[in-house]
Amino acid sequence: MKVCELSEAVASIPAGAHVALPGFAITRCAMAFAREAIRQGLRGLTISQCVGAMDGDLLVGAGVADRIIYGGGSLDRFGRLGCINRRIEDGSLKAEEYSSLSMVFRYLAGSLGLPFIPIRSLRGSDILKRLDVTAPGDHASVADPFTGEDCLVLRPLVPDVAVVQVQVADAEGNAWIYGPRWDNGEQVRAAKRAIVITERLVPTDLIRQKPEQTVIPGFRVSHVVQLPFGAHPASVYRAYDYDAEEIRRYAEAAKTAEGLRAYLDEFVFGLHDHWEYLAHIGGAERLNRLAADPILGY
Amino acid sequence: MSDGVEYTLSELMAVAGARELKDGQIVAVGLGLPVVAAFLAKRTHAPHMTILFELGVVDPEPVAPGVGLADPRVWYRAKMLSSFADMLGTVLHRGLVDVGFLGGLEVDAYGNVNTTLLGDPKGTFRHFVGSGGANDIASLARETIIIMRHEARKLRETVAYITSPGYLAGGSSRHDAGLAGGPRRVITDKAIFGFDPDTKRMRLESIHPGTTLDEVLANLGFRPLVPRDLPTTEPPTAEQVRLIRQEIDPKGMYTG
Repeated sequence: MKVCELSEAVASIPAGAHVALPGFAITRCAMAFAREAIRQGLRGLTISQCVGAMDGDLLVGAGVADRIIYGGGSLDRFGRLGCINRRIEDGSLKAEEYSSLSMVFRYLAGSLGLPFIPIRSLRGSDILKRLDVTAPGDHASVADPFTGEDCLVLRPLVPDVAVVQVQVADAEGNAWIYGPRWDNGEQVRAAKRAIVITERLVPTDLIRQKPEQTVIPGFRVSHVVQLPFGAHPASVYRAYDYDAEEIRRYAEAAKTAEGLRAYLDEFVFGLHDHWEYLAHIGGAERLNRLAADPILGY
Repeated sequence: MSDGVEYTLSELMAVAGARELKDGQIVAVGLGLPVVAAFLAKRTHAPHMTILFELGVVDPEPVAPGVGLADPRVWYRAKMLSSFADMLGTVLHRGLVDVGFLGGLEVDAYGNVNTTLLGDPKGTFRHFVGSGGANDIASLARETIIIMRHEARKLRETVAYITSPGYLAGGSSRHDAGLAGGPRRVITDKAIFGFDPDTKRMRLESIHPGTTLDEVLANLGFRPLVPRDLPTTEPPTAEQVRLIRQEIDPKGMYTG
């Protein structure tokens, strides 16, 4: 049985694992997952995502992750990824910085089982020069066997686990993602297994009615967790809007280590689980205000 | 101002950006003024243009401004919602993006853009957003347009970190690095720049109405090429200003 509690899914991840995270800035971030990983005292993770997001920032801030492979990122107009940037600046985070496309190509190569993948961007930039230092073994220059031209190639990424935050899934983990999917499809296919966190758990018969909407195949999924508002304070398209007030609170807290500690005490350590978190931030009344308009999707 | 049309410098920049876009083109944009420029072009002279957001959004028609590309407000009424691999892979990497817009912390005399860090990369620095899709767009679009505030600390002889390659060290160095394309324009709130076809150094193309050459140069961290004949930037029309204020950016989120 794949359907389980969030705590069980998080407990399946060993210390030191490489976890691909689903968020993009402030949308479809695995926030409840991140809070539970912090509560359980998970340590030594490598995290990866095409564009750094609030889920990755919280895990880095709490010391769960000390290595990130990513393509840059922010909290959109709410500000910088406070924890990731602070720990890059003080040298305590091992950061391997790419671009969005080079990250997704690395996942794509992993998903296809390729030995390497050529790419035309990154060349001439300081991103590549910096990667010579931070991850010298993950890119190389080879001759194109057909033209003889110099070709930059990247090593595939094969995360131990991909966490994916979706709107709809069944008990096998067959999942629908509404809206743009950024890197999530490639991450799940590149990873050795996936944990699906879904707003709604539906019968497989419903999935079978619109199988073309299935973007995550259940046979790649090890755990399915049904959790409403699991991305709060980030948004989930067609489910709920982002919570501007709570993201602002986080962005402010994440500016300093002390601020982040106080944030963790209140929103993570001070609360037993996701249900207590939802009650703490204002419960049904607040969540109802965030519910998405069915036409607009936000 | 001229012809009695009142406009802000942000509106002038958006209009100048729109003017660079042609009907039928595929354009990759990030949020802010580039979105205003692209939507303005699409509603005026370029109705068949295609607008892409890197995360997988094609031709949206937002009815409310968003806080970033991660805001579902800017995905509204899209013709397709897909993925990075689709947008940045099968369109951009394939060579099909005609114009990409870039912004940044710093740009240098050869159009190299820094969005990664300020300070000394080997010593004390402050780290910011990094690339996202910017490096990919700068590397692979047929041409790029850079939109920046006109300040000496942002327009520099060299940047602290090349996130997105322009013409690198000038001359043939971009080509030698295996990159085609390159920046076509730099649009600031005081002037518009192009690039010398041989040296690839930034060259003044026009100065905005109400600005002087001295003011443009005094707020630059490098000396651009200055042609003898320097036109004034064409100001926005009343219709362009109306479209921006009433339909594209009614809350003045990007142009206020």
